[in-house]
Amino acid sequence: MEIVAFCCQWCSYAGADLAGTSRLKYPANIRIIKIPCSSRINPTFIMRALSKGVDGVMVAGCHPGDCHYSTGNYFTRRRLMVLKRLLEFSGINPERLQLYWISAAEGGKFAESVKDIISKLEKIQDKPFPKNPESSP
Amino acid sequence: MHNQSQSFRDSTISTARELEIELEELPDWYCCGAVYPLRSEDLISLLSPTRNLMGAKKEGKELVTLCSACYQVLKRTNYLILNDADKREKLNNYLEEKYDGSTKVLHFLEVIRKDVGWEELKSKVKTSLTGLKAAPYYGCLLLRPQKELVFDHPENPTIFENFLQSLGCDIVDFPYKTECCGAYLGITEEKVINSAVLKIIQGANKRGIEVLITSCPLCLYNLEAGQKELMKSGHISKPVPVLYFTQLLALALGLGVDVCHFEEHQINPLPVLERLK
Amino acid sequence: MRNIGVFVCWCGLNISRTVDIKRVVEETSSHPQVICSTDYKYLCSEPGQKLIKEIVKEKGLEGYVIAACSPGMHETTFRELASRCEINPYLCEMANIREQCSWVHEDREEATGKAIKLVNMAIEKVLHNEPLYPESFPLNKRAMVIGAGVAGMQAALDIADAGYEVLLVEKRPFIGGHMTQLSETFPTLDCAQCILTPKTAEVARHPRITLMPYSEVEEVKGYVGNFEAVIRRKATFVDWNKCTGCAICIEKCPKKIYPEFECGLKEGKSIDMAFPQAVPYKVFINKESCIFLNQGKCGVCAKLCPEEAIDFQQQDQLVKEKIGAIIVATGYDLIDKSELAEFGYGKYKDVIDGMQFERINSSSGPFSGVIRRPSDGKIPKEIVFIQCAGSRDREKGKPYCSKICCMYTAKQARLYKHKVPDGQVYVFYMDIRAGGKGYEEFIYRSVEESGMLYLRGQVSRVFEEDGKLIVWGMDTLSGKKIEINADMVVLASAIVPSNGVKELANILKITTDEHGFIQEAHPKLKPIECMTRGVYLAGCGHAPKDIAESVAQGSATASKVFSLFSRNSVLAEPTVSIVNKDECSGCLSCETVCPYQAIEKENYRGKVIAKVNSALCQGCGSCTVACRSGAIDLRGYTNQQIMAELEALLWK
Repeated sequence: MEIVAFCCQWCSYAGADLAGTSRLKYPANIRIIKIPCSSRINPTFIMRALSKGVDGVMVAGCHPGDCHYSTGNYFTRRRLMVLKRLLEFSGINPERLQLYWISAAEGGKFAESVKDIISKLEKIQDKPFPKNPESSP
Repeated sequence: MHNQSQSFRDSTISTARELEIELEELPDWYCCGAVYPLRSEDLISLLSPTRNLMGAKKEGKELVTLCSACYQVLKRTNYLILNDADKREKLNNYLEEKYDGSTKVLHFLEVIRKDVGWEELKSKVKTSLTGLKAAPYYGCLLLRPQKELVFDHPENPTIFENFLQSLGCDIVDFPYKTECCGAYLGITEEKVINSAVLKIIQGANKRGIEVLITSCPLCLYNLEAGQKELMKSGHISKPVPVLYFTQLLALALGLGVDVCHFEEHQINPLPVLERLK
Repeated sequence: MRNIGVFVCWCGLNISRTVDIKRVVEETSSHPQVICSTDYKYLCSEPGQKLIKEIVKEKGLEGYVIAACSPGMHETTFRELASRCEINPYLCEMANIREQCSWVHEDREEATGKAIKLVNMAIEKVLHNEPLYPESFPLNKRAMVIGAGVAGMQAALDIADAGYEVLLVEKRPFIGGHMTQLSETFPTLDCAQCILTPKTAEVARHPRITLMPYSEVEEVKGYVGNFEAVIRRKATFVDWNKCTGCAICIEKCPKKIYPEFECGLKEGKSIDMAFPQAVPYKVFINKESCIFLNQGKCGVCAKLCPEEAIDFQQQDQLVKEKIGAIIVATGYDLIDKSELAEFGYGKYKDVIDGMQFERINSSSGPFSGVIRRPSDGKIPKEIVFIQCAGSRDREKGKPYCSKICCMYTAKQARLYKHKVPDGQVYVFYMDIRAGGKGYEEFIYRSVEESGMLYLRGQVSRVFEEDGKLIVWGMDTLSGKKIEINADMVVLASAIVPSNGVKELANILKITTDEHGFIQEAHPKLKPIECMTRGVYLAGCGHAPKDIAESVAQGSATASKVFSLFSRNSVLAEPTVSIVNKDECSGCLSCETVCPYQAIEKENYRGKVIAKVNSALCQGCGSCTVACRSGAIDLRGYTNQQIMAELEALLWK
């Protein structure tokens, strides 16, 4: 199983770092991509990831109201709500996309969220898109 | 209520009729259990309140209670069902139909405030209780925990005061209004009740309070039984009658003493109320 | 195509314990653009950096990936190193294989596999990076300080002494803040007025400080070095250029009110001066209570004023000011009365808060410094102090410690004993927190010398009975319930952020925490910086603190302003949004999502298109998603870069 996590650099990326500093353990199949703000996430990134065979996408941002850029994560929330419906329409299980709010102080929550998305993905019966056929550059 | 507390029942039914509030007895109701379980896993005790809540939902109505204990149990159960998905699922496993926590639980006082309003209530009073020094006794079940009940300020509630004001009573600041009456310790430790009641009644006597009102049958029982004991032992000389708020309301609305069933009381309130006529 | 290098760090055993470094080096070196891949024990060390520098030179690298700890830790280190190697710093990327790999996984095989992927992702990102150069902007060397309490005054004085202009904005009609209301200060028992008035006077006469009392900041636009503020100067209905402070008007004004300064304990007039040493030494009219302003009659003050300074026509004025840096020193208030109903606060006159006690104890206060109780003016013989009234109370939503209450309660109790030697003091406390120079000793002296009774426990209820205040409490050390018949109760009420801070924070685009206090940029390493560049933070607006700390923070913010003003221009992060002019359709969807109003309009080939003001843009990238034609991209995090990272992740 392969999961991409988009983490905003102020809160959730720092939260993931804290999970590391606190030596919390979580499964290794998550890959984090650092972005400045969760509102930087273009839905096409998620569509691309899922269509290329990633099993799940985790989006993590600052808690609503605490966004470093004051309002960014509100946009994220709305955009992803719409995207979930688009996923459903496209025949992709919307559960493959999960949104979490993780602050820089919540290392534990980050580790829990990774476990949470994995347990949700395990419940999904339908198959993801086949893995990207081209391998290595 | 049909057996033990006709005073509460009849005074409520008649006042509701007078205030044009439509009350309907919940068909096939269960006892709420009277005490909200302290153990978080004690879900079985929550089944009967949940069934009552579901019954009200089926009828499509709000669930109104008179008794503080029922109010507390029903409202807290509903809160749990609304806010704890895990417990909701577990409870629903025992039920014939799913219940989602959508029933609104109201205290009769809240209904009066919402559907009649304090000003309107004032205009409906036929026998003003002017000069009657009354104080509310909230007890604990109506107010705490505030987060779940959202009834009134837990330290400085005012809903009863507003109610009494509409009836024309002289309201006395009564700091003991949220003190503990001793609750169920009455069964095993009478002494605790007596000392709790002594404090409350002495406080009332000092302030010249003529009548205490409550919505909790247990508070009423403890305050009355405690006073009787304390009279016997000579600790207090002047008992303070304790009434349900609906009894006072019935009197103010001119519905007469019959609906009040004062004969049920251990301390006869009639001498105090006689003066008003 | 670019020649890049990969450097993998062992971080001692931290990474190498769970990640097979050798395999990472091998796997990544097979990438066609990677011309060298190597490892070292500690890359961040002096020899490690030297190694990188040598390899860059030897192999002619044009960019590199550092696989090591979190970029939060050492990104700056390795980007600065890149500059020294004559590589653009933005052609250096880090793969986080410590915090997000070796420390959180146990299986060596899995961790190594993940590390390889993370490095591959970083390689792909670097390959799509562009060299970026920070832009520089001119700097307006003038500071604005919001709040003229002791912290704000200190900041203003320090900046002005250093030779820069300062604008000092204060919402009340006088400067000095809450300290002007205090009687004496702990732990030295200095008279607050005596140590404060030299400072207020200095602020008032300083040639480089422009004082704006009775004013509030309404709007702030711009960015570090170039802010533009709109300030509302509220009408005082007195021409302060003419007023001499002769106070004839005060004497003759027929309208009595209870001003806020005296905490409702002492009568004042509708036209008044807050206190006798007020700076500026001018009178002002209370708009809500003035008879003339509300009913059109009276006007006694106008008739009697020898300088004809009264001006009932005066209106609020909006002033625009340009500044380069902002210091927020907004201070505190006390918790709302209704929150402390169990103590009868707000209901019984003799239940007062700490600030009211300060006024009672003050020689300019309601009883000229004699300790009397407000209800009947009697001298209280039994007095109860309740600490943590609202503080450290989750139920009240104030789980934090208000920090100064332990100290000021001890101080007040001691001052009470000085004035009422035969009085009995009871202090209910949870814990005594006296961390500070000379604080612990002060508390001990108070307890030992003055015979006060410290009771560890909380008070459940205060109510009136037979003319006394009955205090029910608990002494948790003896396990006994306690009932005290007191004459007066003093609450050490919780400190809350001052009214209006939330709105101000929105105006300044800085954040507040869950309790409404202003959030610092980093709790340890940037305690006085705000999230917005060029905005600094001092005093109780940040969190409860005492006078000494507030003064220290005031000075600290001033030094931040010095280092900003020591330059002639400001450099901006180059990771900002940029518009592709030919692709932009001019729909301006980006404008609506931008939290910084950084999107401007521009005429380009006969159409209106969006343009990013790179000084305002903070680089969140929200606009890139809103853009329908994909014309906006975010430098440093371009669509191409992120897509490349995604692709790399899916390689086998």
